[in-house]
Amino acid sequence: MLTPIQARELARHVVELTPADQAECLVAAEKSALTRFANNRINQNVAETNALISVRAVLGKHIGVASTNRLDDASLRAAAEAAVAAARISPEDPNFPGLPGPAPVETPERAYPSTRAFDAEARARAVGAIIDQSSEHGLTAAGKVRAAEHTIAVANSLGVDVGMALTGAQATVLSAGADGGSGWASFLDGDAANLAPKALGDVAADLALRSATPGALDAGEYAVVLGPEAVSDILDFLAYVGFSAKAVEEGRSFMSGHIGEKLMSELVSITDDALAPHAMGTTFDYEGQPKVRVPLVERGVVGQPVTDSYWAAKLGRPNTGHALPAPNTYGPMPLNVEFAAGDATLDELIGSVKHGVYVTRFHYVNVEDPVSVLLTGMTRDGTFAIENGKLARPLKNLRFTQSAVEALASCQGVTRERSFIGVEESAAFAPALLLGRFAFTGQTA
Amino acid sequence: MLGWAGTTRRCCRTDPPFTGVRGHRLNDIIAAALEAATSAGASYADARVVDTSIEEIGVASGVVEGVERSDSFGIGVRAIAEGAWGFASAAEVTPESAVRVAREAVAIARASALVTGEPLHLAPVEPARGTWSSRADIDPFAVSLEDKLALLFAADEALRGEPHVQLTKAHLGFRRQHSWLGSTEGTFVEQTAIESGAGIVAYAVDNGEVVSRSYPNSHGGGWSQAGWEYVLGLDLVGNAPRVAQQASALLTAPFVEPGTRDLIIDASQMSLQVHESIGHPTELDRVLGEEAAFAGTSFVTLDDIGSLKYGSEFVTVTSDATIPGSLGSFGWDDEGVPAQRDYIVREGILAGLQSSRETAPAIGRTSNGCMRADGWNRIPLVRMTTVSLEPGTWSFEDLVADTEGGLYVETNNSWSIDDKRLNFQFATEIGWEIEGGLLKRMVRQPNYTGITPQFWGSCDAVCSRDYWSVWGLANCGKGEPMQVARVAHGAAPARFRNVQVGVGR
Repeated sequence: MLTPIQARELARHVVELTPADQAECLVAAEKSALTRFANNRINQNVAETNALISVRAVLGKHIGVASTNRLDDASLRAAAEAAVAAARISPEDPNFPGLPGPAPVETPERAYPSTRAFDAEARARAVGAIIDQSSEHGLTAAGKVRAAEHTIAVANSLGVDVGMALTGAQATVLSAGADGGSGWASFLDGDAANLAPKALGDVAADLALRSATPGALDAGEYAVVLGPEAVSDILDFLAYVGFSAKAVEEGRSFMSGHIGEKLMSELVSITDDALAPHAMGTTFDYEGQPKVRVPLVERGVVGQPVTDSYWAAKLGRPNTGHALPAPNTYGPMPLNVEFAAGDATLDELIGSVKHGVYVTRFHYVNVEDPVSVLLTGMTRDGTFAIENGKLARPLKNLRFTQSAVEALASCQGVTRERSFIGVEESAAFAPALLLGRFAFTGQTA
Repeated sequence: MLGWAGTTRRCCRTDPPFTGVRGHRLNDIIAAALEAATSAGASYADARVVDTSIEEIGVASGVVEGVERSDSFGIGVRAIAEGAWGFASAAEVTPESAVRVAREAVAIARASALVTGEPLHLAPVEPARGTWSSRADIDPFAVSLEDKLALLFAADEALRGEPHVQLTKAHLGFRRQHSWLGSTEGTFVEQTAIESGAGIVAYAVDNGEVVSRSYPNSHGGGWSQAGWEYVLGLDLVGNAPRVAQQASALLTAPFVEPGTRDLIIDASQMSLQVHESIGHPTELDRVLGEEAAFAGTSFVTLDDIGSLKYGSEFVTVTSDATIPGSLGSFGWDDEGVPAQRDYIVREGILAGLQSSRETAPAIGRTSNGCMRADGWNRIPLVRMTTVSLEPGTWSFEDLVADTEGGLYVETNNSWSIDDKRLNFQFATEIGWEIEGGLLKRMVRQPNYTGITPQFWGSCDAVCSRDYWSVWGLANCGKGEPMQVARVAHGAAPARFRNVQVGVGR
């Protein structure tokens, strides 16, 4: 596994090998292992070591990109030459501002020895602890325990030279009963030592037992309490279709034409902040530029979208450091999105609902209209009717078809407690929310 | 020795002279891995070396969006030890790394055995030896970048004739995968697949609203196991004005009135309908709960084979890895099981499931060859090959004429289905109301929803082979770590009665 120093050295070397006006090299090395379980046993168990070398060559305003995972000098040289050959033939992009120059980057320690040492035997022991509670109650558990180490480095011919290592430990568990009940719990942290596998398994098993023999609910608008997993889906889609300067400029974002307007509840504040003490992931983007904290929505008011060097120059705005790897058709993207904490507990949110629905998480969410962020998807693994402030009865999985923007306009409560959901390079930091109106449009058979 | 009869392999040899790499023959490297796994205690092992090259070229609104060439090469070893699976992989392909990876795979298998159930048993398969390659009349990697860009710029330009079309995209993609598989049971096969893909999209924007129109398909365009000739045959430039005109017209088209309608679905959207509501729920690993935590399970149970009424008598679905040009075709799957055609649904009744050597014994059968990995660093999973709705007898024109009041929809816009593959909702890019047997007013982004067996039970007509085509899907996600499979579906337009449309609009 490459260290950050080795990865930076490799990136600089590839830049030197690239006969172009400007050159950039991204090194993304990974050593990861994932133990998967289902039906209360380990069913898949995999490990991988890989390193991707991506070269961006610039000739004037002509750009080409090539990548390889072969690290011998001949292969690196071939990738560099392929990038130059692509640049030579590509028509120029008149808006290309040139590669960005160096800027100071903080690289806090985000790689943990305990995660590097989380080997197959340790992961198997964790799996055993996770499934214990399910086994004891006649439930079946499925999920994963994963450990990964990443080294990311970027160098360019203007002097950018940054590198950073990070680790991620993740565990998920679905516990299911024969009577239709199912529960879910997840864990994500840089440090595997913080994983409490038995407690995680207990949460999922308890939810599975409580959600047995689910019933029906008429379609309609309900007050809803969304758990952090469900909220993370909403944040992910807002980031995917809404928070990019490219989407805003092209008129495809809910932000387009509404910057500075109050579109959501005052309880909604969403930022991208890779530098927060609790943040995961790298503190620089895939152009080696420092990630800047960006208030995307502040007390319900639409803020500014994130940029990269290309869109910052095109729009005459600061570069917020949110480039994806080149070539990038998505535009800049926030990868450290967090929803500001509120002051409630989950019990308080549920307790304040007279008649509504509690959702543990969503499944297979997709966008029907990007401008209104109209989403459809299903609930799963613990959906309950709330009656008079209590989880009254489990429900069969519900389909929703709902604008995320309109849903967040009706936000009435936010929990203090938040969870990281996703993977370490792009985790969302999400609380639970109480939304006044949420449209459920169907139910599973 | 496996025979070739009844298959569509384009070329074959029976004594594979595996390609050399850095002074080593790949069969020697694979053999070293297998020997190391056996020595470490594996009761079974297979080793795959995969060499993948990809070229992606995109143009947006007259500007190059990206020109990229990527290569990936590595070895993965799968082993059973103490009755459990282990897998390890590395980008370095040498005899030394092969031995190291094989030993790691066995060590991981031993760790798996700490939390295991019944010991694994693989359904028998005759060891395979030979080579297979897909057909490409014009090697797309040999076509100059200038020619590719010229085509894209011409198509992109042809999209920009409408005033409201403010964003246009055209892209090409090419993929060549060369793989070598060996197993401790004596399988040694070498395969090469070349794929080409292309598509165009027009986005019309006005008054804070955006609509898109694609050709030949959305979400990555059309894909085929073929060469540059496939791209030329799509006639992107010739289709661009229609696509742009429809995008522009969609901006002012009404949404469909919510309610129930008789619905005619075009072949491209039918392919995704088959994919989500028949392909995935009939994967045997899902039925057995092996994918429960991520992609989900299935409403189908083991006892349903031969009895479950999946759809109407007009619904017959096959799984076929032998269709020339389909993304789902190969010589052998990644367990060395030969490509084959099998019935999944026959005249409405569930007839079989897509399986692997590990899962097939659960239904008392041998594997029907559906195990595929998306690269050297992933294990094979049960994946669709070409799962097709077999053609019926109708002409499209007669089908519309036979529909008194209804809706005709084309091209997927979004998709969603629950974790048991029952409750689905699809939105499409465009539709037309049908009145008195005629296509009438255009409607914008119509969506529809249903429950899988009821929906397929309402199918009363499928168009004939003249309207049937194979649609490549290059983005089928499954598994953890996530794998993206390249699958395909044959489909023709079909009609469904009393479907709920206009949901949430």
